[in-house]
This record gives sequence, structure tokens and C-alpha cells, in this order.
Amino acid sequence: MCLTHHFSSYFIPGLANGFLYALIALGYTLVYGVLQLINFAHSEVFMSGGFGGLFALNAVIGSKTPSGLESAGFVVIGLVAGAVSGGVVAFVLERVAYRPLRRRHAPKLAFLISAIGMSYFLQNLAGKEFGRDARTMKAPFTLTPSKPLFTVFGEGVTVYYAVIAVAAITMLVLLDRMVNATRLGQGIRAVAQDADTASLMGVDINRVIAQTFIVGGLLGGAAGFLFGLGTAGVSYTMGFVPGVKAFTAAVLGGIGNIRGAMLGGLLLGVIENMAQPCIGANWIDVVSFVILVLVLMVRPTGLLGERLGRSA
Amino acid sequence: MLNRRVVLTVVPLVVAGMALSACGSSKKSSSGGSSTGGSSTAANTGNKPTFTIAYEGPLSGGNAQLGLNMKFAVQLAVNEANAAGDLPFTLKYTDADDQGSPDQSPAAAQKLIDDKSVIAVVGPAFSGATKAAEPKFADASLATVSPSATSPTLADGGWKTFFRVVADDNAQGPADADYATKKLGAKNIFAIDDASAYGQPLEKAFEDQAKSDGATVTHQSVPGTTQCQAGSGNTQQYPGVATTIKNSGADTVFYAGYYCDFALLAKALNAAGFTGKLMSDDGSLDPKYIEQAGQNVAEGTYISCACADISTNSAAQDFLTKFKALAKFDSGTYSPEAFDAANTIISVLKQLGAGATREKVLAALPSVDYKGITKEVKFQSNGNISGTAVYIYQVKGGKITSLGLASTS
Repeated sequence: MCLTHHFSSYFIPGLANGFLYALIALGYTLVYGVLQLINFAHSEVFMSGGFGGLFALNAVIGSKTPSGLESAGFVVIGLVAGAVSGGVVAFVLERVAYRPLRRRHAPKLAFLISAIGMSYFLQNLAGKEFGRDARTMKAPFTLTPSKPLFTVFGEGVTVYYAVIAVAAITMLVLLDRMVNATRLGQGIRAVAQDADTASLMGVDINRVIAQTFIVGGLLGGAAGFLFGLGTAGVSYTMGFVPGVKAFTAAVLGGIGNIRGAMLGGLLLGVIENMAQPCIGANWIDVVSFVILVLVLMVRPTGLLGERLGRSA
Repeated sequence: MLNRRVVLTVVPLVVAGMALSACGSSKKSSSGGSSTGGSSTAANTGNKPTFTIAYEGPLSGGNAQLGLNMKFAVQLAVNEANAAGDLPFTLKYTDADDQGSPDQSPAAAQKLIDDKSVIAVVGPAFSGATKAAEPKFADASLATVSPSATSPTLADGGWKTFFRVVADDNAQGPADADYATKKLGAKNIFAIDDASAYGQPLEKAFEDQAKSDGATVTHQSVPGTTQCQAGSGNTQQYPGVATTIKNSGADTVFYAGYYCDFALLAKALNAAGFTGKLMSDDGSLDPKYIEQAGQNVAEGTYISCACADISTNSAAQDFLTKFKALAKFDSGTYSPEAFDAANTIISVLKQLGAGATREKVLAALPSVDYKGITKEVKFQSNGNISGTAVYIYQVKGGKITSLGLASTS
């Protein structure tokens, strides 16, 4: 009933949301793959990407009203700035909150607390430095759907959604290739499979772990920028809910599994947006988590299973 | 193992904390409670007792601006009363930050209750926070006068300590509905609440009245976001909600909630191509709404409030000037009400003189009759203000402008 009309007007934003969840979920899944722990500070990596993108974009746009090729350039600048900020924060996070614990062979629980501590610290640091109110990015392109880029099943796709889709698909494909076909990817998979053996075979575990954090941070940071481009803007608390959702997506797809995180993110985004017109916004989370529970009951390791170790 | 370790470290800390706070409050009570104490504070104020008027509201978080509007007004009232020099006691100001959240409000209330020098409280500012904290205030016989908590059910709580100087949403909701249907000609209304103790009853009151006025009303509950208040919502929910609204063919959107989330919704509606009218309530009556939504999005939005526009009131000009000097920003939503709430308490304290106690203040408040800058403050037996008046405002040229009373404008 609720979706018979305007189906694609809910599907398209859902898919866009799903791409963002997928990008963030990859950060959780990659780190889980190599360390078997949940990096709860990843939501703040995402937030850093939002601020990095915001500052870069607002600085380069100035008072211009960009259009055409210029717009594309600005988006790329923001994306790169967001990704770099996310990567840097993730790298520092690993150095400060994880490596010292790893060197001392701390129990798994210590990593978790350390991550939560870093999460609060980064969140409040951002709130203190950048203000407690949400900040808006200067538009690199026009956000109104009065001029949709193209239409799918009668519904216009706005530039914003198109940008998310293009950026996310590019990054997802690059990541997939990177993990499956490069030396770094081989290292990540080796550490995920058996860290001790990998180290005996000459893999520098610390190096691989740091690189994994950076890769996850780049993706999360870029997602932060794309998120901040939307109507919500950028704020110091922006990471919390998307972080929880992306973690859910990673579990849904099979934590540790890269394609699982992508699938889980897309599914969750679409389901959420489809649920809203049918049962209302305040039931969205209920639907998402009921589905998660049902999936885990049938497949406890998630839709695609845990398998970063094997070639995806 | 873990539990024991946690217990072993946490318990001593908590005990130590309690001991420290107990020391702190007993010291304060000795200087505040008796006029013959001869403590250091009494020495330089000529042996007058010290009473503290406290304020509870959001001082941080997404809705902090509303809280700050009131904080400085209370502070100003205290400063002015002290400066007049005719008081048989010295007034002090303190505050407790509840972030407008029901989760944090009881702790904020406890802080004020434990401070024995606190004689009465202005606040809590938000309805949900009031609902959560009022049982504690009632147990402690600490009177609260809220400048802004407008949820109707608060008056039914049976808390003898609850008072408010603003009309409740039972006045605001129906007045908004009448204005939307009769003055704005709304036929198909999409009403949204933020799933809070404030938004939900307000939306209900609005919806009932709008339906009886003959309009079609579609309702959806959209939880406030973590970014704005302590809600559970995700900012990414708004594009979908905006699509639903646009697809419903509504000509008017009524939002029962606060400015921060309303701004997100307004932006999403604009991005979705919605061109109908926007209307919201006193929670959105703040220039920050325009700032966050953007001037072109906010332009034309109707906002209602049980709060009067005092810019044309000659008796209030002095307040406006002094407020700006103290707060470094202009008097905002509920600043004048907070000023009145504080002055109502001060007028009771003046009657009671140096022997005032929490219990005496509580006993005297129901019979108070104080002429404030927004209205004459008199309470009904359930703590509600006597008489109601709802005003309509509109965003024009990037500024919130008063259109006057909802019933006459």
C-alpha cells in the first residue's frame, strides 16, 4: 500500500544512505578482520572526515557559486580532504589507543574501553574546537531537485544522490581490487587469516594493521564528507547514529567480510527508507534490528559469513 | 572478576565524591541558613542571609541557545534585585545544566536540591526534563517556576512544587490549528512531532482541533535526532520524511518540536521540492532556526508561541538593554518569561524577608500576584498560569516578526 506510489522516490535516497553505511561499515569490518576487535571510535573518524571536508570545501569555494566542471572539482577536493582527515585520525587512533595495548598483550576488553574513551575524547574535542551547533557546507552544486540530473522510474535523481553513488561505487570497486589484487591486500588477508604465521612469513604485522586503519579511515572520512554535504550538515555528534548503523550493517553482512559490509550497508539503507512511509520514522530502527536479529538467528555469521582471510 | 575490580575502584570514588559534596553543601547551608552564622560570606554582606535562586535548563547540546536565553534573564533578575539594595538578604545565582534531556534532568535537579542555599528554582526549561525532575523537587519541597515547559500533562502530575509562567500546549496547539485552517486556509496538513514529551501532546492538541476545523491531517512521529537533542533519530531520516510529505500532497506542514530538528526538516523539505507552508511552535521560535535552515528556506515560516513579543512594550525596554549588556546577545525566546519567573520568586522572598525557607516560598507561591513584563503572574491551583494568550510570528526578511495574537491577527 504505502510503496505502491513513488517507489523510487524512497528507493533512491535509501540507496544513497546505504552507500554511506557501506563506506563506514568497511572501516569496522577491515579492522575486525585483522584485529578481531570493534573499533568503536570509527564513528569519530567519520566525523573528522565531515569536518575536514567542510573546512576544505568552504575555504576553496569562498563566495563563488560554482557550476559545471568547477562543481565536480570542488566535490573531489572535499572528498579528498575528508578522506585524508579520516585516514590521519584513524592512523593516530591506532598509534595512541591500540598499539600500546597490543604491545603489552592487553585483554580484548581493554581495547574496547580504549576505543570508547577515544570516541568520547574526539567527539568532545571537536565540539570544543568547532562549536556545538551543526555547520553547513557551502554548496558545490545546487541541491534542489528542480533540476534533477536524470530520472529513474519517473523520479528525479538529484545531483547529491548521484555524487554519493559515483563516489561510493568508485571507492568500493577500488577497495575490492586493492584487497584482492595488491601486495597490501595480500598482507591484510594474511594477517586476518593467521597473524602469527603471517609474521613468520615476513609480513610486518604492525605495518599492515596501521595501513588497514588508514584504508578504513579514508573510506569513513570520505563518507563523512558526503554525509555533511546533505541537509544535516556537520556536527560533533554526527558520527554516533551512522556509526551504530554501519556497525549493524557490518554484522548483518558478516563482520570481517568486505563484500558483506557493502551488501549489509546497502540493504540497511534501503530497508530504513522503505520502512518510513509504511510505518513511520519512529519505527525505522525497530525494523532494522528485527531484520538483523532474524538474519543472525538463521545465519549467525551474517549474510555472507566472516571471511576476510579468504580471497573474497 | 571484572565486576569486582570495577566495584573495588568505583565504590571508593563514589563514596569520596559524596563525602566531598556533603561537605560543600553543609558549608553553604551554614552561611545561607542562619543570619547569625558570621561566616565569611555573611561578613562582607552585613550579616544578611544569602539565598540562591537556581536555574535548570540546557546550557550545552543542540538546544543550548534556548537555555542560555533564560539563564541570563535569571541572572539579570538576581543582579538587579541585589543592586536595588533594599533587600533584607543577599541573592545569589547558580545553575544546573540538564541539556534539555529527561535523562540528565534528575541529576541536575539533585545538584540543586543538595545545595541547601537554593531557595527556589527557575525551570526546568523543557517539558520532558521537567517531567523527569519534578518528583525530586516535590520530595525536597523546592519550588520550581518554569518559564517554558508547556506540556499540558505537567499540571496533572500532582506536584505541589510545579509552577509555570507560560500557557500550556492545550492553549497553543488548538490556537495554531485555528490559525492554520482559518487564517492560512490549510486543507491538507501533515503534522509531525519529535516523539518528545513536549512535541507529542502538542501535535495531538493541534491535530484534534484541525480535524474539527475540517482539515485533513496526516500524522507522523519523527524522533528528534541525537545531533539536536537526546533523541534517538538519525539526521538521515529527514529526506525520506520530506518525500513522504511531498507525496502526500499536503499544503501545510506543522512541526511540533524544537528549532534544531525543525531546521533539518525544513531543509529536507526544500530539497525535496515541497512548496507549501511551514508552521511550528515555541520550540522553534529562535533566530537559530533561520541560521540553521538558511534564510531562503526559513522565509515565510509561521511560528507560534505563548510568549509575548515585548519589543513594543515600553516597560520592557530597560530589560532588553540590560539583557544585551549582560548576555552579549539579544533577548531571545523565553528570556522575558525567565525574567518574570525569577522576579516572581524574588517578590515572594521580599514578602517573606530574611526568614524565608524553601517551605515558606512554596507555601506563598500559589497566592502570588506579580506584574511582570510579559503578563500578570498569578497561578492556578495546579501550577498553571492564569489566563492564556498565544501569539503568531513569521520569518520575514530573515527576521522573526510578530503578527500579534493568533485569535486577532
